Amino acid sequence: MGVADTKRDLAANKMIYAVRRDPSLYQNFTQNLESIMKNYGLSEAERQAFRDLDIKRLSELGVHPYFLPQVSRLFHGGTYNHNKSVAAQAYGDSMVKSKEDVD
Amino acid sequence: MAELVFVTGLSHAPGLTGWLDQAPPHEQKALTDGFSELGNLLRASKPDLIIGLANDHILNMPLHDIHDFCVGTAGVWKGPAEWFRDWVNVAPYSVRGAPDAAQILFQELRKGNFDVTSKSELLFDDNWSVPLKYLTPEYDIPLIPIHMNCVVPPVPDPKHCYTFGKAMKEIIQNKLPANLRVALMGTGGLSHDPGGPKYFDVNEEFDRWFLDLLKEGDPDKVLRECTMDKMVAAGDGGTSELIAWIAAMGTVDDRKANIVCYEPAVELRCGMGCVYWDMETESANV
Repeated sequence: MGVADTKRDLAANKMIYAVRRDPSLYQNFTQNLESIMKNYGLSEAERQAFRDLDIKRLSELGVHPYFLPQVSRLFHGGTYNHNKSVAAQAYGDSMVKSKEDVD
Repeated sequence: MAELVFVTGLSHAPGLTGWLDQAPPHEQKALTDGFSELGNLLRASKPDLIIGLANDHILNMPLHDIHDFCVGTAGVWKGPAEWFRDWVNVAPYSVRGAPDAAQILFQELRKGNFDVTSKSELLFDDNWSVPLKYLTPEYDIPLIPIHMNCVVPPVPDPKHCYTFGKAMKEIIQNKLPANLRVALMGTGGLSHDPGGPKYFDVNEEFDRWFLDLLKEGDPDKVLRECTMDKMVAAGDGGTSELIAWIAAMGTVDDRKANIVCYEPAVELRCGMGCVYWDMETESANV
């Protein structure tokens, strides 16, 4: 999956675009996740991928790659985002784990 | 006519300000020294205005309404946008814009064959926050930010961006106020792949090849050899930010780039470096 596989009209992409821009959305994002997903009209598959923080699945559904580490940061925070940070590791773990599943 | 006094290409990955201490000491020193030196060079050229070109990172142009280029026309810019503040680890700043010059730039560019829009509100992330911290730590030089679509296909290809740069040069020299001293920065790259399969990798071989190519001062060769496919292969979701450097190259004729620094900074998840073109020397082909 790469940038060329992005689904421009995917509800999840519209939601992520908006969330990073709007304090009322990114503050308490995880607590308000269900209502935000509902407001943006995410499909059940998209919603479940967010509930599971299944980043590989979000990628398969057509979320733009650039948004994927940002999704991890929405859940885990973005401070001191080095390779061993919780957010970067959560991204890596999700992608690697799913890759092993496919292999 | 206004004068183009300094042109640079530089990386802006957030690790440079956000978690540089994770890089090996020699990389920390080389990058800190190099980016600081670039700042000294830029300020020594005494610009009245900086025009910047950088990836929008899908932050101000949504996927369903994206343009190749977006000229920022505000009188004052503030950054970093709040959600990015901790990540990029840059204190809140404000920098003046240049609305009159930005309007001229926008109106003239739209006469060309470019997909260009304008906005008076833009959120800044690492794209400006990282370069400005090094280039103008006092935030005392007005900025016209031009946001680009670097990562949502169809991305404007290197030839088109080079043509865009040439058009900018004409506008700067012929339409902006006389005696205005203008610096231009193209920021992004080098090899990286945010959110893609090479997220934790850097392609040092590509990066060094690209920098050596810029040193030759042969724009036709750069455009012939540095194709979009080649950039995508070196990191799908980020390396193509180098189209901002190629647009900058469109303003320098056949001057050779000077490499200030380069480090394959795996801990920063990005090949990091910066170059400048010496605008004091005459091009052989002006």
